[in-house]
Amino acid sequence: MSPRELRERVVITGIGLVSPLGIGRTETWAAALAGRSGAGPITQFDASDHAARIAFEVKGFDPLTYIDRRAARRMDRSSQLAVAAAALAIEDAGLVIPADAERYGAVISTGNGGNATYEAAHRTLLERGPDRISPVALPMIICNMAAGHVSIAYGLQGPLACVLTACASSLHALGEAADVIRRGAADVMLAGGSEAAVTPYAMAALDASRAMSHRNDDPAGASRPFDAQRDGFVLGEGGAILVLERIDLALARGATIIAELAGYGATSDAHHITEPDPKGSEQARAIRRALASGDIDPSTVDHVNAHATSTLVGDVSEVQGIITALGAAHAERVAVSATKSMHGHCLGATGALEASLAALAVADQTVPPTINLDNLDPACEGVDHVRTTRQQAIRTALCSGFGFGGHNAVLAFTKVGE
Amino acid sequence: MSRRRRVVMTGIGVICSLGVGREDVWRNAVAGRPGGAPITGIEIGDAPVTMACQAREFVVEDFVDRRLARRADRVTHLALAAAQLALADAHLRISDDGRDTGCILGTGTGGNRVRDENHQIMLERGLDRISPFAIPYSMCNHPPAEVAMQLKLRGPTMAMVTACAAGTDAIGTSTAVIRRGDADVMLAGGTEAMITPLWIAGFDAMRVLSHHRDDPTSALRPFDVSRDGFLIGEGASIVVLEELEHATARGATIICEVAGYGASADAYHITDPDPTGQSQARAMRAAIAEAGIAPSAIGYVNAHGGASRPGDPAEIAALRRVLGEDHAAQTAVSATKSMHGHCMGATGAVEGALTALAVAEGRIPPTINLTDLDPECTGVDHVVGTARDVRLEAALSTNNGLGGHNAAIVLVPWKGQ
Repeated sequence: MSPRELRERVVITGIGLVSPLGIGRTETWAAALAGRSGAGPITQFDASDHAARIAFEVKGFDPLTYIDRRAARRMDRSSQLAVAAAALAIEDAGLVIPADAERYGAVISTGNGGNATYEAAHRTLLERGPDRISPVALPMIICNMAAGHVSIAYGLQGPLACVLTACASSLHALGEAADVIRRGAADVMLAGGSEAAVTPYAMAALDASRAMSHRNDDPAGASRPFDAQRDGFVLGEGGAILVLERIDLALARGATIIAELAGYGATSDAHHITEPDPKGSEQARAIRRALASGDIDPSTVDHVNAHATSTLVGDVSEVQGIITALGAAHAERVAVSATKSMHGHCLGATGALEASLAALAVADQTVPPTINLDNLDPACEGVDHVRTTRQQAIRTALCSGFGFGGHNAVLAFTKVGE
Repeated sequence: MSRRRRVVMTGIGVICSLGVGREDVWRNAVAGRPGGAPITGIEIGDAPVTMACQAREFVVEDFVDRRLARRADRVTHLALAAAQLALADAHLRISDDGRDTGCILGTGTGGNRVRDENHQIMLERGLDRISPFAIPYSMCNHPPAEVAMQLKLRGPTMAMVTACAAGTDAIGTSTAVIRRGDADVMLAGGTEAMITPLWIAGFDAMRVLSHHRDDPTSALRPFDVSRDGFLIGEGASIVVLEELEHATARGATIICEVAGYGASADAYHITDPDPTGQSQARAMRAAIAEAGIAPSAIGYVNAHGGASRPGDPAEIAALRRVLGEDHAAQTAVSATKSMHGHCMGATGAVEGALTALAVAEGRIPPTINLTDLDPECTGVDHVVGTARDVRLEAALSTNNGLGGHNAAIVLVPWKGQ
């Protein structure tokens, strides 16, 4: 147990996932432990002209299960995914939100906000003129609207933000939300992210940055972090929102604690706009700061849910960062998994999805695998790559996220004693 | 933490329609100059509104290298320039490894032009003609990421996207980052370049833009009976925030202390503010409480004052709640948006800078174009037309954003204690 005062300790009491692996925490976790891939050919638009034609889409999602028809029509899919994930998180936490929820807030992130709405609105502008733009277009596009909708849907009246750091966004969201609780500005925070970027322009523009896999004939095998044959990331989508609570209040209401969010570290590479520093030195410092902020002994780190997007440079620098932060001897014993192999790169939602899996790993003392890791890239050696689900003691689990622009965030999750 | 780390402001870099740099902008703000003008130099097609508060005097090449000037979005250019101005104003040299310094910048929508151009290229010329920089240079995090890259900052960097409250939230969150020990120095603020055909059309469809007599200098009329919306403002504002001992150790000139930050959500409606002002009041109260002062210490409020029909009265209602009727009536209030326009994700940072200068100089910039006060906006002491000299104990800067975000910061003068 950390010596931190009780009012400064933040725990996870609920997880809401709408992911390519399933809807809800139970379905997603079961699919992850089964080593299933959520990838397939793109169904949301005709991608036949695109070089990257595969994605990890959320299947069977009906927004009307969570949102009334009128409200749903005024939300981009990215907001719908967030509102649904929030509903599932609140239910999972058994949380009853009071009418005057002044001590309840949210930090919900995204990479790009309402992509589908943007593309339709801008096309309307170009083809039909400015007077044909809908009054709800702008609010549906902007990146903070998922947070706004979650706040309105559940009456959260405390601090409300969207922090945006590209692919690390929702890890920063979780870290900053935990800090809102620690500094006494709220008691409960819904935190995470959502993304719905399986759209013609977003897919094509991401592909233009030359980071995507073109293994279109093998969707399930395309996302292969740490594998010698990896050729880029595969886009995912989804919503992942966690309920964070002050530990004393969670215990007082008899909540089931999934894990403690015990540490948060944020650093920047200041290196390159799309590529990480190959030595991973600032990623390593984010790990060390996450551990230090929670007074966590680095030797207790048993599991890392890696950012590992299946890109050539990124996967290597990440392993280097883990080795630098934890030391070569300990790194060899750390169970590392890249769950993006199963759920893809969900951009602004990916950090919170992976953090959820890391927290569940702590709760169940079970590590989900990296699938498709058939031939380990020698440059990614030095850690204990988990290829099949494994039960083992996990004292501390880390979750790392690194974004375009050099943003690094690491969270540390620990088991709360009986 | 046993003893709270204190955070002071030691530099200001601001660019908006009132000028480039702290001196220019401040001189024009206290002179009550309007920043509105017909839009020039930007292709806006058959846009329904043709006036805005552009950063007309900003010359990209003065601050940004040729490669970035060509490829990156104006929103990033403005941020890079404001960061340079802020560092120069603070006489701050970034530490060798940059690990004690981070950057949080608010923005509403990031690199609009880069996104619009590339989307149009895709539609007209094909998928394979999109630039490899289309995504990284249009995302909201590019301005803080590029600032960190250029200045070699390796502390926490992120974008804060809370619509029109983003600049205020960025300053507040940066203060929290320093307090918790994750950095000793933060470049905090916001940047926005939204004068584009899509956003003009999008805002106008929402009926939030002013069409007032098609006169850009008088169109922005916060609290006035004839107000009919805002003009889009362009600009960036970045302040240097430092942990107190870090600032004093290097002999920095302290502009003011960032004493408190509060945030809240309306949880009411996506575009309309809570008309009671209760939720805005909560953010203000939280900021005042964190500052450890009484509401009666607030001598000046730089209001959000977005010149919206429902928004302005809701804000005044909130101020009256927080300050109490008696003190509210004596509290100087101005909406500097009347001059620099609504700079969206940057606006809280532009206004935060002006509030800091008001506190430091004992001089309150006015609300202009307030010729006929709306009876629903009474109950505070509006500073109209010309600047007023007042010694301030504390000032509040407040902003509210689409989606129901409310944010407020309390700035207090530095007396050398």
